[in-house]
Amino acid sequence: MVSEIHQIHNALVSQKYSCTDLVKSKIEEIKKSTNNTANFILEEYALEKAAAVDAKIKNGEEIGLLEGVPFGLKDVYLLQGQPASASSDFLKEYVSPYTATAIQKLLNAGAIPIVKENCDAFGHGSSTENTVFGAAKNAIDETKVAGGSSGGSAVNVAKKYTTFSLGGDTGGSIRQPAGYNKVYGLKPTYGRISRYGIMAYASSTDVVGPIASTLEDIRIVLNCISGKDYHDQTTYPSTEVSENAMSDIDGVRKLKVGYYKSFIDSEALDKGIKADFIKLIDTLRANGVEVNELDFFETNTLVSTYYTLAMAETASNLARLDGTNYGNRKSAGNLKEIYAVTRSDNFTEETKRRIVGGNQVLSQGHSEEIYLKARGVRNEISKRFSEEFESVDIVLSPVSLTPVPSVGETMNDPLAMYLSDAYTVGFSLGGLPTLTAPVGTETGIQITADKDGEAKVLQFAHLLNELV
Amino acid sequence: MEKTMTLEVLSSIKGAKSSEAVDQLFEVIKTAQVSGALSLTEGVNIVSLDDLRPDEVIESSETEKNIIRNNFPSQKNGYLVVSKVIEE
Repeated sequence: MVSEIHQIHNALVSQKYSCTDLVKSKIEEIKKSTNNTANFILEEYALEKAAAVDAKIKNGEEIGLLEGVPFGLKDVYLLQGQPASASSDFLKEYVSPYTATAIQKLLNAGAIPIVKENCDAFGHGSSTENTVFGAAKNAIDETKVAGGSSGGSAVNVAKKYTTFSLGGDTGGSIRQPAGYNKVYGLKPTYGRISRYGIMAYASSTDVVGPIASTLEDIRIVLNCISGKDYHDQTTYPSTEVSENAMSDIDGVRKLKVGYYKSFIDSEALDKGIKADFIKLIDTLRANGVEVNELDFFETNTLVSTYYTLAMAETASNLARLDGTNYGNRKSAGNLKEIYAVTRSDNFTEETKRRIVGGNQVLSQGHSEEIYLKARGVRNEISKRFSEEFESVDIVLSPVSLTPVPSVGETMNDPLAMYLSDAYTVGFSLGGLPTLTAPVGTETGIQITADKDGEAKVLQFAHLLNELV
Repeated sequence: MEKTMTLEVLSSIKGAKSSEAVDQLFEVIKTAQVSGALSLTEGVNIVSLDDLRPDEVIESSETEKNIIRNNFPSQKNGYLVVSKVIEE
């Protein structure tokens, strides 16, 4: 598939259409859409930027590859002067005081943000139903969920309302909705992209990542937003993924592939997805790719470790939301009552469940038995990943246990919702780069490499496009 | 005297109580096998003390300061209104 970014760039340079017309048409499509993907449309802001790009072209000036390209951002990113609600009542009126580093890099490259996208409140969910803006609907079948938490972003890309979108992934929030809407979604290595200016859910696994229709667009955006950042001390300097490296099909056939037996043996795995996954493995072997079966942790252990740590971290991160300095403050008799009423009325049930769970494991008597033990399990998971990647270059996995659920199907069953993240959370705990590619099974395939192995991940996805 | 803090107090959420679904996840961790003691200086995504940025104050822009002031939930006669702290 041809890069959407390159297509738009060529059309703008050749003046096939103006940037203003392009942005206007995308905004009109979002307004008319019934998928409920937009929390806020940045019409005035975007059109002003589009006019500036048109003026440059009219004056015969060169424009950069991303200049004038409309994109979306999950409504947990800060963009100075624009709303940032995290899909919550708490921050519905909140205005971003500064701009997130990843967004600033895109602005510097000339890309134009047009929409703050619907998502699960504070990233707490797997379907974009836990949102005060109403559930987002799947791009292919509106009776199905969008996936989550970056559901609005994945649907916008799939519907071509945005050329690409920036999602946020803590335990699968880019990869799962990408799979549900049949687009690409990349969770980069932890620290490759700055988290400055994205509202924190679980800081030790939160990452910023692109969602796009083509691999080339994922590569372009990834290169634009990666790098060491003064404002995020967990970032590291990275090298760009070149176009040539990504399309080296002969080289990629030599990569050794693994998959986890425990994932495929899970009784909860849908028979159709299992059959498709095994068929994909057979296709790879038939084409000369070495594929090995690997032992790994049970999915229940992965999910429990992830949620224990994520809840502890979100309880700490959201403790600052008390209505004192910002947010929707409620009236009450004294300070403690204000805190309690403000938080009780403004957080959704799912967010409250996670905050309470987090405080439970961090409290005296439970921290050693649960929280610190979960950290120990995580370290072992991470070590095991390091060992596995000494014998293989790529790990393949399904994205989800089941096909895309219907709207309302899992909202009232939190345990089922948590367990549905079985295949995504492990790679988050390891801080590894994982791409969802819309091939292989109904909800796609996850391609994972060792840390900083984004080039290998994209290369392998390119190979899958050739073979499947 | 030891004072027990309830989940309601810890979370500042009225009626907060543990959830059956979440408790089931915690039970898995309680029975998980971990080899050796947890090292708090080793692990995933820890930043070395040798790699910290300088401890310095950076002045915010006027635009940023204005937005922060405008985000404040309550203002009266040019002052930001906060609740009176009640000593217990």
